[in-house]
Amino acid sequence: MNHPTEKSLDELLADLPRDVVPPRHLWRGISVRLNPPRRSRPLAYAMAAGIAGACMASALTWAVLHERAAAPAAPLTARAANFDESRNPRYVAARDDLEVNFRERLALLDPATRARIEASLAVIRRAHEEIRKALASDPASPVLEQLWQSTWHDELDLYDHVVRATQPAMTRT
Amino acid sequence: MGVVEEWENRVGTVQMLQSTGAMEAAAEPTELIAAAAGGDLRAFEHLYRQFSPRVYGLCLRLTGQREAAEDCTQDSFVAAWRALAGFEQRSRFSTWLHRIAVHSVLARRRGLRVDYEVPEPATGLPDRADPASDGPPLDLERAIAALPDGARHVLVLVGLYGFSHAEAAHALGVAEGTCKAQLHRARSLLTAALGLERS
Repeated sequence: MNHPTEKSLDELLADLPRDVVPPRHLWRGISVRLNPPRRSRPLAYAMAAGIAGACMASALTWAVLHERAAAPAAPLTARAANFDESRNPRYVAARDDLEVNFRERLALLDPATRARIEASLAVIRRAHEEIRKALASDPASPVLEQLWQSTWHDELDLYDHVVRATQPAMTRT
Repeated sequence: MGVVEEWENRVGTVQMLQSTGAMEAAAEPTELIAAAAGGDLRAFEHLYRQFSPRVYGLCLRLTGQREAAEDCTQDSFVAAWRALAGFEQRSRFSTWLHRIAVHSVLARRRGLRVDYEVPEPATGLPDRADPASDGPPLDLERAIAALPDGARHVLVLVGLYGFSHAEAAHALGVAEGTCKAQLHRARSLLTAALGLERS
């Protein structure tokens, strides 16, 4: 085995690796700098309105259902926070199951309440679709990515509220 | 098959070439370069994956500091993206990219001189931890980082990354004779610092 001091300077220099793997976060920083948000003002306003609408829809639904439930439901968002599962097949399957459950429970509610919940869900889905379109043209935007996930959480929250809020009513009947 | 997908199929070949040090002989990724020049960010990301280790290594040796090297690597690729449409492929992409990296290092150093200073003993040489011991000399990387800036820059460019004296002199904004003198100085300092026999 060669001791380092037995090598010449040229040999030592030749042994140095020229490539050094950079930290993984570097590309993310570069992509953000290359692709800053370029949304037009009307789209930005539309998205802001969509998000605000989704939040209002969630709040309204919660208020409506809160009157029916003895105790407020724990938001599913708390469990889903920082959880990028919207593209995970297992997550999507679980979400679909929850939606089926939601539809079953929704059918048990009176028509006026059901209409308000359906309207809230429509607002959330419109916001979701607007953000999806914006993401298609600006896929590296972390802000849009965060908004995309938040609308998933809003929809799940709505399902969760309905399922939980109708649970006592079902057991009473 | 798209440009990016086609390139992904060549990843194994690229990795093999990197591991054998034959990267310089690898085919120029002209299709990826053209796609990136046309605004394809995904193609540019593939170029980044392929070339960033060499650029980061270059920046790391030139600056002697990890954080500065990260900033310079990012600056280099951002600048490359913006200038890519004007890249005429008269030189290799790597050569062009390395010139941008050197420029980024020097530009940052001019603006952030204090942050880029490498601690330097009065002699310009790192001290041996225990001169009386028979243990290994100081790490070569540390010895290079401790070289005076001018000597380190030339050693890194010419001695490590294959720049000619003319290319290094042009990139560093010094005369070619200065470049040769700095290389001689760097080699002498390293030889003494590492306790090597003078050849």
